[in-house]
Amino acid sequence: MNLAVYVHFPWCLQRCPYCDFATEAINPSRIPHARYADAVVRELGLRLDALPPGARARTLFFGGGTPSLWEPADLGRVIAAVARRGDLQEITVECNPTSLDAERCARWKDLGVDRVSIGVQSLRDEHLRYLGRLHNAAGASLAVQTAVRSGALRVSADVMFGLAEQTIEALTEDLRALLGEGVEHLSCYALTIEPGTRFGELARKGRLPRLEDDRVATMYEAVERTCEDAGLGHYEVSNYARPGATSRHNEAYWRGEWYLGLGAGAVGCTAVTEDGRAGERWRNAADAEAYCTALERGEFPPAETEAIGPETRVQEGLMLGLRTALGVDLAGLAARTGVDPRVGREAAVARECARGNLIDEGVRWSIPRSRWLLADDIVARLF
Amino acid sequence: MSTEPQNIRNFSIIAHIDHGKSTLADRILDFTGALSARERVEQFLDKMDIERERGITIKAQHVRLHYTADDGQLYQLNLIDTPGHVDFTYEVSRSLSACEGALLVVDCTQGVEAQTLANVYLAVEANLNVIPVLNKVDLPSADPDRTRQEIEDVVGLDASEAVLASGKTGIGIKDILESVVKKVRPPTGDPKAPLQALLFDSWYDSYRGAVVVVRVREGTLRKGDKIYLMATQREYEVTEIGVFTPHPVALAELGPGEVGFLAANIRSVHDTKVGDTITHAKRRATEALPGYKEVKPMVFAGIFPTDSVDYTALRDALEKLRLNDASFRFDPDTSDALGFGFRCGFLGLLHMEIIQERLEREYNLDLITTAPSVVYRVRLRNGETVDVENPSRLPDPGRILAIDEPFLKVTLHTPATSVGVIMQLCQDRRGTQIGMQYNGPDRVILTYEMPLNEVLFDFFDKLKSASKGYASMDYELIGYREGDLVRVDMLVNGEPVDALSVILNKEKSHKRGRDLASKLKEVIQRQQYEVAIQAAIGGKIIARETIGAIRKNVTAKCYGGDISRKRKLLEKQKEGKKRMKSVGSVDIPQEAFLAILKID
Repeated sequence: MNLAVYVHFPWCLQRCPYCDFATEAINPSRIPHARYADAVVRELGLRLDALPPGARARTLFFGGGTPSLWEPADLGRVIAAVARRGDLQEITVECNPTSLDAERCARWKDLGVDRVSIGVQSLRDEHLRYLGRLHNAAGASLAVQTAVRSGALRVSADVMFGLAEQTIEALTEDLRALLGEGVEHLSCYALTIEPGTRFGELARKGRLPRLEDDRVATMYEAVERTCEDAGLGHYEVSNYARPGATSRHNEAYWRGEWYLGLGAGAVGCTAVTEDGRAGERWRNAADAEAYCTALERGEFPPAETEAIGPETRVQEGLMLGLRTALGVDLAGLAARTGVDPRVGREAAVARECARGNLIDEGVRWSIPRSRWLLADDIVARLF
Repeated sequence: MSTEPQNIRNFSIIAHIDHGKSTLADRILDFTGALSARERVEQFLDKMDIERERGITIKAQHVRLHYTADDGQLYQLNLIDTPGHVDFTYEVSRSLSACEGALLVVDCTQGVEAQTLANVYLAVEANLNVIPVLNKVDLPSADPDRTRQEIEDVVGLDASEAVLASGKTGIGIKDILESVVKKVRPPTGDPKAPLQALLFDSWYDSYRGAVVVVRVREGTLRKGDKIYLMATQREYEVTEIGVFTPHPVALAELGPGEVGFLAANIRSVHDTKVGDTITHAKRRATEALPGYKEVKPMVFAGIFPTDSVDYTALRDALEKLRLNDASFRFDPDTSDALGFGFRCGFLGLLHMEIIQERLEREYNLDLITTAPSVVYRVRLRNGETVDVENPSRLPDPGRILAIDEPFLKVTLHTPATSVGVIMQLCQDRRGTQIGMQYNGPDRVILTYEMPLNEVLFDFFDKLKSASKGYASMDYELIGYREGDLVRVDMLVNGEPVDALSVILNKEKSHKRGRDLASKLKEVIQRQQYEVAIQAAIGGKIIARETIGAIRKNVTAKCYGGDISRKRKLLEKQKEGKKRMKSVGSVDIPQEAFLAILKID
């Protein structure tokens, strides 16, 4: 069994008003770098021991939070522990422009990190202020340049669109600028208002300036055009890459593979049966103190779990695979789950194909790129 | 042995919804010791949950009580509960004619309401001794003097000896029973005469078949008797006779004046017509009791399963409901838009709502109900006349000579301050005023003749909002009249959707067609493609609305931590789609089919 390993770093210097991830603002001097790394390494051991034998880590992704804040030595201990339990083909660290410099890049390279994903979001100061980010446009450019110049790191940038007052011209200019700096991967996300966030609250009260969905759709199309013109492939709803520069870790999610989540607030989903057909998803409690304490006692951290049966895996396999250019490998999904996704969906598939919403190649289903903006609607009809 | 008629009193309770009839009935049961403490579940007489929730009685019930009066004699009191809504006027009239007396219960914080009035008139027509009861006297806002005056002015009854009571505290219950004994005349009848018993209610019991409730007028009914139902012309053998006390108690016979139930292996409640006369098969009465009338549904609507796999389940559920509801009718129906379903006939809108709610609640079915329609009587050029219950089945306009529609006499009881608005509303609804009577300085009774069609389209809600909730209404069918009517068809992406067709007054058809199109635009969600909504009369488009295509429905981020939540969202989206009907490639929600009820 191949495993995509995700390590969650649950702290940021400041909470962004749109973010609903498990993260907490913290004074950097108070981050328990070593203690947290120890706990993560222990959790890795416990989780792997509980898995059927033969589970091998193939990719490692540090997300957050802001994992670029993590002391490289401690980050390195986690990398080493994971590397001992597999053969890692990709190690990614998510970064904020404020916590990325040449020295850090060099340290990461030495630790085996080969990919950074930088939270640029925008190259306009007014948009960065709207998003409540700590960096400005100049800082973002500088961070990207630094990462690119360090060599040996593949650089991805996150960009947000659909912001109030954002024009298509400004957006596409930002994208071209980033590509000009040597970024070879872009994750471009439409701003999503999540309940429970500051933006969510403002939106509920009708006090958040927002763009209409139709405008956002137009921007999405502009993003796609700009990236494709620059030679990047649109390989997932929100992701673009130069040939060979896709995120292998994320591709594992979209293929519906098992993944190991480590750290406070992390989510993992691994097999519970020998044949790997049924599994369990867990979400560790977000409280980092409780997380560390449990592991120091040699116990699993507190978590919520959910059984993932074969039927659910099929649904998730469709939902995830149909977000990608590659689509869903039907035989592969059937082999993994013991359930043929085609059975019972004949009429729905025929209808979606007739509407031009689905391409059925027999062994593979995919949504044509022109319909990706409606992917949720299409997938819901196949559920 | 049956009780001597002079010691029997048969009475019912007439009251407006919420005026406390059921609570008062419970107190009476309590007082006469009919219920043990454990059984004092509130409102014993209302059996069904829906009734209790809505505070109305759908099925009539009877209960035999024993009361030793101040004169030292033991009396048999039969309390006959009547349904309390306009849709069931005929049932009320039959229940009342099984009695010699009635309590007129008026909430003396509210005063006399239109519905009460209609039933009092029924009682007076049936020659009952009516005893006014002023209920809820314990409330601070009670105004017994004013209510007494109102009863005299409006109802025309002597209210000087009205009983003051409170169902809540139990005040006045004994006075009520004494009044019943003293003021309600005893029944008459010869136990040896040929049997004449009035059938005034029935229900279905899975062991006994249809069980009927009867009031014996003449003769004696015994277990084992061969009986003959005069309207349905069928014979049965009585297998069981009994009364409710309120528990069922078996008896050997029912004599003149007595009320009870009988079972006779009658297969269906549809063979037990309310108002029918039961006599002996061998020694028949020479004539039936007066007042029998066949009850016919007045309002029709299509009921379709949202998911066609539920068709059989829906049919089974409808059959079960029909077992206990002689006035409910259904026939298989097909719609191009909605597939296979049923055309159902109801006594009125409330009846329709009750059936729909029971189907969804008790049988857990997802349903689409089409807008209710009246029965149109269409006169064709070739001299034939056809009844049309479904607008989409209206014959080709070229073949139609005229369309007749059912008319009602509507009685409205309203505070004087709302008269202007209500008169305007009635006029808008093609009403002709035939009467206006002041009832004291601030209450007015308006009488209108109005097409039933207009009453169906949200008239009641409009009436309530026009009067801030204070107006009430009663109606009766007065016959068919020619109307200037056209059918308005609705087209979705150029395809007519038969289930959305409505028959409307020609003068208003254009405006209503436009309003309906724009209402549909509101309730139909944006789809993957642009959707055109059109209203048409005889092929001519009179309105058009466009629902723009949805452009974006996709989650931006979907990684390891997002998967469960997103899957659940999609499951919810799918559930939502399941409750819609796909017509062509357009998902139409349930509420669209009732949109016509929601326009001004």
